[in-house]
Amino acid sequence: MRKKISTLARLGCALFAMIPVAFAQKPDCSLVPGWTQQGEARSFVADTLFEYMDGNAEGYLIYRFVKMDGVNCQSGEDTIVFDISEFADAESAYGMFSANRDPRQPLTQIGTAGQIVPRRAIFVKDKYYVEIGISRDGADVLKAFCTAIEKKLPGSTQIPEKIGWFPTEKLVPDSTRLIPESVLGLRLLRRGYVAEYEYGKAFLVTEDSPEAAAGVMAKLRARFGEVKPAKVADEAFEVADKYLGRLCFFRKGQYLAGYAGVAEGMDPVALSAALAARIP
Amino acid sequence: MRTGLSRRNFLTSLAQTPKLEYGTLGRTGLKVTKVGFGCMITSDPSVIARAIDMGINYFDTARVYSRGNNERMVGSAIKGKRDKLVLSSKVQSRTKEAALADLDTSLRELGTDYLDIWFLHNYRDPAEIKDELIEAQDIAKKQGKIRFSGISTHANQAAIIRAAIEKKFDVVLTSYNFAMDKGLEPSLDAAHKAGIGVVAMKVMAGGSRFQGFYPTDEALRNKMAREGTMLAALKWVLKNPSVDTAIPSMVDTDQLEENIRAMSSKYTDADEKLLAARLEEIRPLYCRMCGKCEGQCRLGLPVADVLRFLTYAEGYGQFTVGREYYQELPAAYAEARCDSCPGCTVNCPNGVRVAQRMRRAQEIFA
Repeated sequence: MRKKISTLARLGCALFAMIPVAFAQKPDCSLVPGWTQQGEARSFVADTLFEYMDGNAEGYLIYRFVKMDGVNCQSGEDTIVFDISEFADAESAYGMFSANRDPRQPLTQIGTAGQIVPRRAIFVKDKYYVEIGISRDGADVLKAFCTAIEKKLPGSTQIPEKIGWFPTEKLVPDSTRLIPESVLGLRLLRRGYVAEYEYGKAFLVTEDSPEAAAGVMAKLRARFGEVKPAKVADEAFEVADKYLGRLCFFRKGQYLAGYAGVAEGMDPVALSAALAARIP
Repeated sequence: MRTGLSRRNFLTSLAQTPKLEYGTLGRTGLKVTKVGFGCMITSDPSVIARAIDMGINYFDTARVYSRGNNERMVGSAIKGKRDKLVLSSKVQSRTKEAALADLDTSLRELGTDYLDIWFLHNYRDPAEIKDELIEAQDIAKKQGKIRFSGISTHANQAAIIRAAIEKKFDVVLTSYNFAMDKGLEPSLDAAHKAGIGVVAMKVMAGGSRFQGFYPTDEALRNKMAREGTMLAALKWVLKNPSVDTAIPSMVDTDQLEENIRAMSSKYTDADEKLLAARLEEIRPLYCRMCGKCEGQCRLGLPVADVLRFLTYAEGYGQFTVGREYYQELPAAYAEARCDSCPGCTVNCPNGVRVAQRMRRAQEIFA
């Protein structure tokens, strides 16, 4: 009997502990003094997102969008639009952030990464992506909301590990993005990261297994036709393509990676070897 | 190592270059390929560069796509080729000043002095088409920043097209696909007769409200591509003479190569069969939320809502979300059981097996 009560108590505690987490994922105007909710809260999932942002919903869906909760807040004449989107996983949410930040503006340390410009703020934390827009220039208000909601969102603030695998020399700062489908415009490279360099771009795709990755390499060779074998990691080749420029593809275990659009004077094979050395 | 195309690739590309067909966008006189290019989710600028070389001459983006990053990507891809292309972008802002400011940003990001078409983006209620936005388009025309005005719509399209005719827009951009009912076609014809350019989007029945028609499951999507269902869907749109061009969203080179073939191959009985089969596959399962079942259930159940929750769970793998919504229903609805009913009174005009689907929802959510 005691065991049963103890089990029930643990279950009760667990359920109680889940309550703030569930509420914490919703935007809340009262997080910043002086702001109150205007109108009803809104909520959308994948097949209703168009009701809120028809014409832009696909940009969310492609990153494995799950749901969005939003409110409008008001303080005097000023209004803000405050939305929190949940994605299937932290990598997808980071991907959404990386596609939507302005690469010419600096990032702000909020959650995993954030960006605040005079009229809008975006940040990502774990699988949550937060967007706040304001009707006037108001970086201070945006920062206050971001800081407050960031504390309430559960999960990790770690940047996806694979981003750290790209060499940093001549890397365009904060340029690494998750491409949700068809890296380099090639359907064979299903989903992965692209990092911009001063002399080209590096890419990294994860396959399910080394065998699957080897299968994709074989298809890439066939697709590009006349390729030149190279010695990088498990297998590699280099090729020139009218649209993708000077390329090197290599495979290391389950990873497919390399460089594309490499400028004259740089060696795509040597660059790829340096990238391969950083992949565990 | 040589650069550029190898001889083999060059010969292959020559052999694969499809025949191009053109449409004229109403009174604008703009001559565009029947298959244009929706850039919204394009993964790499090389896909756009390749499309230009293949002969596609109409490209569409919007200020809101990836918060402006998409316009910048398109701008980089069309650099040096702008004059050969028809380029459109869209503005979501709902005041004159904000819209004109957005236009300047669009031009800067796209690296061009003018847009061929500037769409007011995403309208579903004609009352939302404010005079000040039309004035913004007129000002932009006079300044030489745009050549033609447009409006885009994804819902309540017939009403927006009617408004576009009344308000003398030059071009209308509307979702249009095989999964929609026939009610839109007279509106497309009317726009065409009025000299308005008609551009179709969401032609694969993909994206948002018809997500179920364009499955996110990669294996099924690949199967549809192999069978030619996607190509058939595009050809279905292009066979309507009132549609001047279609702009499917193109992610990658493979999709580009597939879509461009729609211009050189006719819509056939085989295509009709493929689309009919696809409609049959989804008909019993996917609620289109037309609302025609409202009030039909003798127990008073909100049928469309429950079927939508089931779609979250089974269509998109979001069981938790579906259950959460179901459990927010009033207790009398959440606890009701179709098995207790002598017979279902709900008739779905789209062929959804309502009773079966309702039982399924009650089984997994309640």
